[in-house]
Amino acid sequence: MKKRTILTIGLAALLTAGFGSAQAGHSSKLKAAYEKELAHAKALVEKAASVEGEWRDIRWKKSKKKFLPSAIAAAKAGDYKKAMKLLKIVEFQAEMGYKQAMAQKNAGPQNYGF
Amino acid sequence: MKKIATLLLSAGLVAMSAQAVPSPQEDLKHFRDYFQRKFPGLKLDELRNGINALDENHRMQWEAMEEFPPYEEFVDKGKALWEKPFKNGKSFADCFGKDPSKVRVKYPQWDAKKKRVVTLELAINECRKANGEKPFKWKKGPIAWVSAYLGYMARGQKIHVVIPNDPDALKAYEHGKHFFYAKRGQLNLSCADCHVKYAGRRIRGNLLSPALGHVTHFPVFRGKWANKSKDGDGLGTLHRRYGGCNKQQRARPFKAQSKVYRDLEFFHQYMSNGMTINAPSYRE
Repeated sequence: MKKRTILTIGLAALLTAGFGSAQAGHSSKLKAAYEKELAHAKALVEKAASVEGEWRDIRWKKSKKKFLPSAIAAAKAGDYKKAMKLLKIVEFQAEMGYKQAMAQKNAGPQNYGF
Repeated sequence: MKKIATLLLSAGLVAMSAQAVPSPQEDLKHFRDYFQRKFPGLKLDELRNGINALDENHRMQWEAMEEFPPYEEFVDKGKALWEKPFKNGKSFADCFGKDPSKVRVKYPQWDAKKKRVVTLELAINECRKANGEKPFKWKKGPIAWVSAYLGYMARGQKIHVVIPNDPDALKAYEHGKHFFYAKRGQLNLSCADCHVKYAGRRIRGNLLSPALGHVTHFPVFRGKWANKSKDGDGLGTLHRRYGGCNKQQRARPFKAQSKVYRDLEFFHQYMSNGMTINAPSYRE
């Protein structure tokens, strides 16, 4: 009986330790992926801003959404999944802002019929 | 032979592209003609009253507001600030001249030395800084009061912005013009979409104002801004409004008095050249 109990406890401890280290590994992978994504998103935002094409809700202080600061805050709280989701929005908006500015490079009164 | 043909072709293309950029004078003519065609029954100068020139109901409300102008006390505050000597004994008159009625029409102006557009508000704050005073905040409050006082004193005079034949000044003008016509933000709208193409059309419960004459009544007193403020001060500068418009387009607004907005103002004010100043004025 005693032997069985010791074996069970030992097995449980082993499993917990294994799960913990797997979880820590998973978390550090997520963190690394987040950091890579954050750098990419920031670069895209700067690219859009350089052509006066940044959209409102990416990081403007008065925006109610502030996707980029919200992503950073989520990552700080350990919620990397949420952070990555928000960074995808940032990247999309930054890319669209840049493309829009490029498409509007030759905008002028000729577009309005005079 | 082939080389000569290529050279001639490229020279022709260069000449064509040089011709393709209209001068500010041509832009102004086309801009006015457009609005004259769009609102054929209206005198051009009447457009300085914005949507109040287009809709009878709005006009009645506006005229009622103007009977007891809510901006009056803030214009008086602006006058007091104008007259108040700085700590060094000098005053705004030392920067702008003694006659406050002659200041508004000089701005915005091109500063050839610093190669930049100088707006009235920028000049006000630079005057303060030069005299050891703390500059005002850019969008509302004291800066709008002083600017409104100078606008009020200039009522009846015509907007007269000069775009000098200087490549840098023309570059700033073209930058402002491009900003005005380029779509931006998540809603993919340009200034011109609302205030040129759809001017006079409905946007929910309101009308879109024509760009021609916009600047004549700035700083403007807006009911919306007055409701937001603690003391009923609804005065705000043109750049405050630019920021609001960009926000509504869901584009990131630029800072008041940034190069972008100063260049935009250069173009925007020039497009209203010859129109009568009636600042400040009440708007919703």
